[in-house]
Amino acid sequence: MARVQQSDVRNRLLKAMTSDDFALVQPHLQLVDLPIKYALIEPDIPVPHLYFLESGISSATMKGAEGHVEVGLAGWEGLSGAVPVLLGNDRIPHDNFMQVAGHGLRIGTEALCAAVEESPSLRTLLLRYVQTEFVQARQTAYVNATYTTELRLARWLLMCHDRVDGDDLPVKHEFLAVMLGVQRTGVTLALQVLEGAGRIRGRRGRITVTNRELLEQLAGDSYGAAEAEYARLIEGA
Amino acid sequence: MPRYFFNLRYGHGPDKLSVDPEGDELPDLNAVRMHALHSARDLIARSRTDAVRDWFVCSYEIEDEDCRQLLTVPFTDTVPDDGDDGTF
Repeated sequence: MARVQQSDVRNRLLKAMTSDDFALVQPHLQLVDLPIKYALIEPDIPVPHLYFLESGISSATMKGAEGHVEVGLAGWEGLSGAVPVLLGNDRIPHDNFMQVAGHGLRIGTEALCAAVEESPSLRTLLLRYVQTEFVQARQTAYVNATYTTELRLARWLLMCHDRVDGDDLPVKHEFLAVMLGVQRTGVTLALQVLEGAGRIRGRRGRITVTNRELLEQLAGDSYGAAEAEYARLIEGA
Repeated sequence: MPRYFFNLRYGHGPDKLSVDPEGDELPDLNAVRMHALHSARDLIARSRTDAVRDWFVCSYEIEDEDCRQLLTVPFTDTVPDDGDDGTF
């Protein structure tokens, strides 16, 4: 099988690597399909592989007595498993699964650990990515404690829009309810508010972003800080 | 199991009805009512929205798959009537 070339990848971490660092991981990268519900990480067991997502969207969720709630979201900027593995650990108590199907480049945990042992610059890049996950999670905590369902939904839709081609987001209301930790009927109501203002259009099982600028205006300071931090840390923006 | 649709009434008139496009599968009307009360309590306790200033004016207008209206559950039903159990 032909090896993946750095010029062909979409993952923003792989793109941001020096060519020497990319060469360290390249022999170990395996292209895999990631169907919906595919588990990238299972809670409380050692992470066997890390996945550089090339397309699709994954969610880290917390499963508690009151059900599942999303605590983190990643797409082609992400590396699943980075938090435990880069911090010298092997597991986390949350699960992480695909919520929008896609594909990724998979690397074994041992191979990745060997690569970061060999290259301080690779370790630094991936630790910077770990910081972006913290920033996003803290932003989510702030938003959940502070804002209305409409505003939280606007942020979530923007985060998804950043991670798909085109303007269609294949999500059902029931799924959004889980992601936002809100009753489904509350999500439906909030979607109708956004739709009435011309920001989105809803269809069965799909939401289309029709006016991103209006969505960003509504989201205000709930959206953007974590995204800017990623650009600064990973891409030197 | 039959599927029930929990349309959310949050004011007067057709534009103040949030129509549920997905619904929930539940065994019977008693389960439907319990689900409506649970959902209403959660919205009252934890949700803030620009569309609803007062959750207690809201109700669920619940329909079956043939769009027959079966049951209305006012959000005020989440609060026990005065004197229900005689103690405070």
